[in-house]
Amino acid sequence: MATTTAAVTLTSDLLSDNISVNASTTCMKAGTTADGLDQIEYGYVEIASGTAYDIIGNTPTASKASKLYVKNHSTDETYYISVVLDAQAIGRLYGGDWMFIPANFHDANADVEITATGGTNKIEYALFHEGTVLVAS
Amino acid sequence: MATTTATITISSTDLLTDELALSTTATLTAAGNSTGLVGSGGLGRKRLASGHAQYVLFDGDAYANGAHKIYLKNTSTTAAEYFTIEINSEQMGKLYAGDWAFFPWEANADTNDIKIDPSADDMVLEYMILIDE
Repeated sequence: MATTTAAVTLTSDLLSDNISVNASTTCMKAGTTADGLDQIEYGYVEIASGTAYDIIGNTPTASKASKLYVKNHSTDETYYISVVLDAQAIGRLYGGDWMFIPANFHDANADVEITATGGTNKIEYALFHEGTVLVAS
Repeated sequence: MATTTATITISSTDLLTDELALSTTATLTAAGNSTGLVGSGGLGRKRLASGHAQYVLFDGDAYANGAHKIYLKNTSTTAAEYFTIEINSEQMGKLYAGDWAFFPWEANADTNDIKIDPSADDMVLEYMILIDE
């Protein structure tokens, strides 16, 4: 069994009581404590401004516990990618921002699409999953 | 100006032949500039009892379009228990026991609500929003 851990630390002085949130999880297959996610797609792409791109080339099976990590390596604060899930906007990842979400790709339309704005955005992504179904051409 | 940072570390020694050790820190700023985020809903905790299916956690109508950030954690220790995370009516994924998520939220429409749907009664969600005002 592969063991992959993902940890987050959030810190801020926004409040009188400083925010210091720590969480860590071992990335497991859906509904189990015995078997970890054992497959990965890990890539890096440069996307020209105005270009829309499906960041995941095939569709993992539904009802799984896949995890998707995306980081925008652009250093210009005005550059961003719009992250869209099946035509539903999630949010924008500006230069330096990252995200980590559960992604169960519940149907064939549930692709994660990114669109670059501002210039050529440099994007790193990793999908931790437990199996994929190839999309029909 | 407040400074808010988010650090992620992903590691594995046996997923690949080469050890995976990924770590990065983002300083969270408003949309398109270097000004730090100036709002926070603080860290919250919510127990969802019976009848709370598809609870609206953050209402798109209540926030301006911006570079908000959302943190969620399923505190359950029962492996089969999960929260389904939805934006508007689109399912993002299932947050299983112990899992967390961190993602940007644009709130670009009144209908762009973040909804959570527990798979069992009395599940507890920890959450926070960092707001681009």
